[in-house]
Amino acid sequence: MPHKCTQCGREFRDGSVEILRGCPSCGGKKFLYVSDRVRNADVLEGKSIADIAQETKQEVLEVRNQGPASRPTDILERVESVRIVSPGKYELNLERLAESQDIIIGVDDGKYMLDLPSMSKKKQKK
Amino acid sequence: MAVMTRIRGFFSKLFGKKRSRVGIYGPPNAGKTTLANRIVRDVTGEAIGPVSEVPHETRRARRKEGVEINSGGSKLLIDIVDTPGVTTKIDYHEFLEYGMDQDEAVARAREATEGVAEAMHWLREDIDGVIYVLDSTQDPFMHVNIMMVGIIESRKLPVIIVANKIDLPDAAPQRIKSAFPQHPVVMVSGLEGNNMDDLYAKISEVFR
Repeated sequence: MPHKCTQCGREFRDGSVEILRGCPSCGGKKFLYVSDRVRNADVLEGKSIADIAQETKQEVLEVRNQGPASRPTDILERVESVRIVSPGKYELNLERLAESQDIIIGVDDGKYMLDLPSMSKKKQKK
Repeated sequence: MAVMTRIRGFFSKLFGKKRSRVGIYGPPNAGKTTLANRIVRDVTGEAIGPVSEVPHETRRARRKEGVEINSGGSKLLIDIVDTPGVTTKIDYHEFLEYGMDQDEAVARAREATEGVAEAMHWLREDIDGVIYVLDSTQDPFMHVNIMMVGIIESRKLPVIIVANKIDLPDAAPQRIKSAFPQHPVVMVSGLEGNNMDDLYAKISEVFR
């Protein structure tokens, strides 16, 4: 189920980490969770996101305001390199994979599996 | 002999030879920090970090520089790095049993994971020798121990295996000795301070 930016209506898939930095299109910080039923109501029925919010009584999610020097949000500084979201569904932490060879698998919040041999190798020279 | 030591000291000063950096490694709750505290306290009267019965109390590596080990008239200056417990699995549920709430436990699991990565980073980049600490009441053949000793061997680092907690009634340090016949094993109690002289003698011999 997706979220929509309340400002420009851009849609984000559920669990998207992009929205934590604010909407990439308009910089909006507020997002509304929309069920499939009303997912296209803004386009098809010409409603504003605020109208949909009122209709569905969903709370608008506000992303913490961040200055340019502030720390990135938790989800973006995850310790794991690969997260198992559900069987067969993975999220890759490309930032982490790019900067180190450590393989840390995250399963749910607070459960980790660590591949020690990958952590014991010296970083390859570029 | 004394002349030789003085000459060696002069040359190492001249060429800036760094002190051996000894990492204290082992699974969580093996008593690494207790042992590190014992060593540092014996030498300097200070401590290196807090200990607790909750696993993963040490989640950042802690370093004590210039610890002088005296044994049999010889002196050896080392840096000691007390590292977070190394394990292959961390589950926040294990912390819930110690009365933590869920958020606290999840945060601790995350920090413990970063701690393992940090410990491995030190091993990879900056450690000249390893004291691998094991709890004598536990099975030494745990997967993580075999793997870590293998990694330490592959990095060609000198290692001393410490069979810790010999003060406990169900301690079986002999099991550790037979599990790792290829390495020197010293049986101690970091808590009570038993047999620490044997450990200092071994440190002077292996990390020189």
